[in-house]
Amino acid sequence: MSYIEFKNVVKEYIMGEVKINALNKASFQIEKGELVVIVGPSGAGKTTALNILGGMDSVTSGQVIVDNKRVDKLKDKRLIQYRREDIGFVFQFYNLVQNLTAKENVELATEICNNSLDPVKVLKKVGLKERMDNFPAQLSGGEQQRVAIARAIAKNPKLLLCDEPTGALDYKTGKQILKLLQDTAKKENMTILIITHNAAIAPMADKVISFKNGKAQDIKINKNPISVDEIEW
Amino acid sequence: MKKALIKDTVKEIKNTYKRFISILLMAFLGVGFFAGIRAASPDMLNTIDKYFKESNVYDIEIVSNLGLTKEDIEELEKVENVEKVYGTYSQDSIINIDDTESVAKLMCVEEVNKPVLEEGRLPSSENECVVEAKFLEYNNKKIGEKIQVEIEDTTNDEGEKIPFLKQKELEIVGVVKSPEYISREKGTSKLGSGKVNYYIYIDTKNINAKDIYTQIYIRVKDSNKFVTSTQQYEDYIEEVKTNIENIKEERQQARHKMLVDKSNEKVEEAKKTLDEEKANAESKIADAQKQIDDAKVQIANGEAELVRNRKNVDNQFSTAQKQIDNAKEQMKLGEKQLQEQEKQVSAQIDEANKNKSKYRIDLESINEEINQINLSYNQMVEALKNNNLPSDQREELQKNKESLIKQKTQLEKNKKQLESGIKQIDEGIVSAKSQIEKAKQDIQNSKTILNKQEEDLKDKKKTTYDKLESAQKNINKSKQEVANGEAELEKNKQEFNDKITEAEGKLIDAKEKIADIENPTWYILDRNSNQGYVSFIQDTKSIKSLGAVFPIVFFVIATLISLTSMTRMVEEQRTQIGTLKALGYNKIQIASKYIIYASLACIIGGTIGMFVGCEFLPRVICMMYSLMYEINDFEITFNCLYSIIGLVAASLCIVGATIYAAMLELVNTPAILMRPKAPKNGKRVILERVPFIWKHLSFTRKVTVRNLFRYKKRFLMTIIGILGCTALIITGFGMRDSITSMVPNQYENVFKYDMQISIKNNLEEEQKDKLINDLINRDEINKIVETNLIAGKLKYKEKEEEVQIIIPKNKEEIDKVINLNDRKTKEKVNLKDNEIVITDKVADLLKVNIGDTIKLEDSDEKEIEFKISDIVENYIEHYVYMSKDLYEQSYGEYKTNVLYTINNNVEEETEDILVKEIIDKNGVSSVTTTSSIVKMIGDMLDSLNYVVIILIISAGILAFVVLYNLSNVNISERIRELATIKVLGFYDREVYNYISRETVILTTIGIVLGVIGGYFLNAFILKTCEISAFRFAKVVEPMSYIYSVLLTILFTIIVNIATYFSLKKIDMIENLKSVE
Repeated sequence: MSYIEFKNVVKEYIMGEVKINALNKASFQIEKGELVVIVGPSGAGKTTALNILGGMDSVTSGQVIVDNKRVDKLKDKRLIQYRREDIGFVFQFYNLVQNLTAKENVELATEICNNSLDPVKVLKKVGLKERMDNFPAQLSGGEQQRVAIARAIAKNPKLLLCDEPTGALDYKTGKQILKLLQDTAKKENMTILIITHNAAIAPMADKVISFKNGKAQDIKINKNPISVDEIEW
Repeated sequence: MKKALIKDTVKEIKNTYKRFISILLMAFLGVGFFAGIRAASPDMLNTIDKYFKESNVYDIEIVSNLGLTKEDIEELEKVENVEKVYGTYSQDSIINIDDTESVAKLMCVEEVNKPVLEEGRLPSSENECVVEAKFLEYNNKKIGEKIQVEIEDTTNDEGEKIPFLKQKELEIVGVVKSPEYISREKGTSKLGSGKVNYYIYIDTKNINAKDIYTQIYIRVKDSNKFVTSTQQYEDYIEEVKTNIENIKEERQQARHKMLVDKSNEKVEEAKKTLDEEKANAESKIADAQKQIDDAKVQIANGEAELVRNRKNVDNQFSTAQKQIDNAKEQMKLGEKQLQEQEKQVSAQIDEANKNKSKYRIDLESINEEINQINLSYNQMVEALKNNNLPSDQREELQKNKESLIKQKTQLEKNKKQLESGIKQIDEGIVSAKSQIEKAKQDIQNSKTILNKQEEDLKDKKKTTYDKLESAQKNINKSKQEVANGEAELEKNKQEFNDKITEAEGKLIDAKEKIADIENPTWYILDRNSNQGYVSFIQDTKSIKSLGAVFPIVFFVIATLISLTSMTRMVEEQRTQIGTLKALGYNKIQIASKYIIYASLACIIGGTIGMFVGCEFLPRVICMMYSLMYEINDFEITFNCLYSIIGLVAASLCIVGATIYAAMLELVNTPAILMRPKAPKNGKRVILERVPFIWKHLSFTRKVTVRNLFRYKKRFLMTIIGILGCTALIITGFGMRDSITSMVPNQYENVFKYDMQISIKNNLEEEQKDKLINDLINRDEINKIVETNLIAGKLKYKEKEEEVQIIIPKNKEEIDKVINLNDRKTKEKVNLKDNEIVITDKVADLLKVNIGDTIKLEDSDEKEIEFKISDIVENYIEHYVYMSKDLYEQSYGEYKTNVLYTINNNVEEETEDILVKEIIDKNGVSSVTTTSSIVKMIGDMLDSLNYVVIILIISAGILAFVVLYNLSNVNISERIRELATIKVLGFYDREVYNYISRETVILTTIGIVLGVIGGYFLNAFILKTCEISAFRFAKVVEPMSYIYSVLLTILFTIIVNIATYFSLKKIDMIENLKSVE
């Protein structure tokens, strides 16, 4: 049994009278410590899968197992607890609390976790040692995303989920973020999922899952993932 | 307006319905409250106006201490603008049902003050009545059952006591509502508990004492053109009252003259009858005397005759006796002779008998010889028969025989002679005997006759003497009778004399009483003397004042809320505004979306508010008041003017706020607008520069503090909302506190007396002293202070106010019953001999100060100027205090007419008994206890609770809408932040705390400010609706603050619970997907 199991997951949205299957029996497995890249066109169900995995959305049918835990069966408080203890999220738009400094944003997460990491250390790790006391508005996009990543990592989650983390960043900055994620996965042996529509970055991953029409159509395992530095797009 | 824009607007409303609804709600509340509260007062006024018009309620009422007459009515009918005059009767009575005594006011069903029939029918005969519904309910009676009323007899003009009613057993035939008694309080009575419990209407036919009307009601011509209690109405009625005032003196005198004339007439009549009776009695006595005298003469005559008769009778009887005695004598003589004769006859008889015996012996010897002869003869015969006998012998024998025969014949002859001799003797004896016998018989017969005669005489004597005796007895009886008659006559004479003396005394009294006939005083009253009506009108005024101040709070808050909401909306749509601007739409076109949005919310909300407010609020207010007042169904009329004013005001506020918000954004260039608005930069707050505090705050608290400073507008709004809410609730409670505190302030702090005893005007000084002495000797009464209490007017410049003037007999004693404390320093004030003391409220109303000279008019309209020496604390009504000396110098003779008493602590029941006993005393006209006043005012002020409830409900709704709206704005503004912390794994509770910590702090600040604001708002509202007769102490009880704070907290908690659920529902995915 894999660390993460996604079995025949169906997610059905009802929009008025139309039923849309965002996920249509999607299945995949991820092992602990893997860096997985999920690729696919818009509306293929990538984000839905990520949201379900992150405990932000429920399934219509199917099983989702994370570290022997039936995530699809979790309800309310247990689900929040799962998010709180096991999941770290990184979004395209950082979603930092504007009113808090970089350090405070990280603290916001660590305050509620039991086995959290030291915010200062994590920020140092993401290269923001100097900017800890700055407010998000005083940081560049890349820096903000680093704060977001630091906030996610500081919780010491089992799973780090990143939804288009470079979507709002320029090429160079995006690359730095991806590098940070790759390094983190390696160093911390963290399981990381990155959604991207940029198939070019796939080689950096241990596993590449291609989504199409709500299904994980193709799962490719990279025996030898290459460093982000070496990838050009 | 472009189609697309309209579509966009409609969609916008759909999408942001919460915001739309919250603006709509603000408009709804603003307009609703404004129109509703504004409309309530006229609605209440219309209701009472219609009720009074329908029931033909009087405009002017006239009562007099000596009743009113038909002539009064005739005169009043002539007064200008008087339409109709009704004389009627009413009287308090006692009704005893199941041992419970209650006081009922008996009134007649008249064309004026027509009672409203609720059930059954009106009384049509003298033994029927109608009652109020409460009466049936409380006494467990039904229509058709009978009640017994006890009512005192009334005194007619002749001074006689006559029953007020013809029938005292009345059948209940219906249930009515009286326009005269719209409040639960029906005033006081001299009977029973001193409080009128019920009213009962009877038919006028049942009134026995019909000559004197107890009151006169007047309807004024065209008074129905005005709404009751309005200034126009009051002025109009005042005019007519002045007209009546003009004939008042004349009528009073006429009435006085009438009573005096009647009394004089009566005295004359009494005198005449007295004289007649006197003459009559005297002649009767004379007659009686004559009769006695006649009787005496008759008796004397009778006695003389009797004596004469007796003499005659005596003579007659003695003669008769003599005759009888003579006869007896003769008879005795006869008897003696007879005895002689008898003796002789006896001797003769004895002789004869002796002869007879001789003869008999002779006869026997003869008989023997005969027998011998016969024997010899027979033997010879025998021997002759023997034939053998010798013839010799025979011849011898024959010869013998012959001799024998011869012998025999001789013998026979002798015998015969003897026998005849005997016979002769026997016959002689018998005849002698019979002669004697006959004589004896004669004597016996005579004796018998004589005896009988004697007996008869005796009898006759007896009867005659009996007759004489009875005649004597009769005479004696007559004598006794005459003696009795004389005694009786003597007694009667005495009695008669006594009676005459008494009657003469009475006559003198009656004559004296004429001089004592009270002066009639007319009291010309209007509707303002009806307690229920006045308190109702007062309530409409309070509501009106409330309507003037209250909605402003709502409008201010509605404006602020709309401003926040719309600003937020415009901000959210910044990009779209930029796009439109870039597309070439002008400012007005773009802004029109928001204006339409706000206007729609405003018009829809306002219109609903208009209808609901106008319908619902007055109804609620009226419903509350209908618990207090027995009044017709409330008239709810849609009040266009107030509604439209409200709607326009609300639109101006809300749409104005919208335009302002839109313009703030629209001034920017499209390029700036199209870029997402740079999130408001995080900033260090001042507090962070105080490391001492900052370092000690936990992480989440730091976040809270920073957020508070970040959203300044919301910060302010929330505080204002909570402030408003708390202030309104405090005002509600505070109004009640202030008004109710008036009573203890006045009756505990200012007036210390327990009873006010009014004494009659015509009481002599000695009688009054006796009364006071009687009173002070009672255990219950501790202290009595004599004062003179008169009504007057204070005038200063153009203004005048009615006041009561209190003049203590002894100026040092006033502070035993009334505290005269300076209004500012609260220090005791003394009465001066040349200046007056006035109470604070009247000083404020007239705008006078210590040292000013002011005019004081007494009840005889004598106006004199005085200097004010002090202004004292007072709460209810206005008073002027002056010393007796000053009064006598200025107005003339001083007369005690009111006694204030301090009682030893007595129970309520003992007090009731005490009051009754004092009222019964001669010279006491009324007794008022402080406790009853306190209770009465207390009941009246209960209605204030409704004001409190209205304020609390309104404040609650306001608080709810404001807080809910702000909470929505808050969530919407920070939705990303909230979604983020949710994703980070904050539990619902933690998310809620993240937000509510801010709310708690803001609420706390709001409450603190609200408490302060409430104090001032309360003072302001009280000032606005203060009644000129009262001075409200602007106090709010500590408990009221506590209640207000607790209620505000409660409302906040309710809103927070709602917030909790909306926070729970936040969709993380949706809100984190894109930049706003």
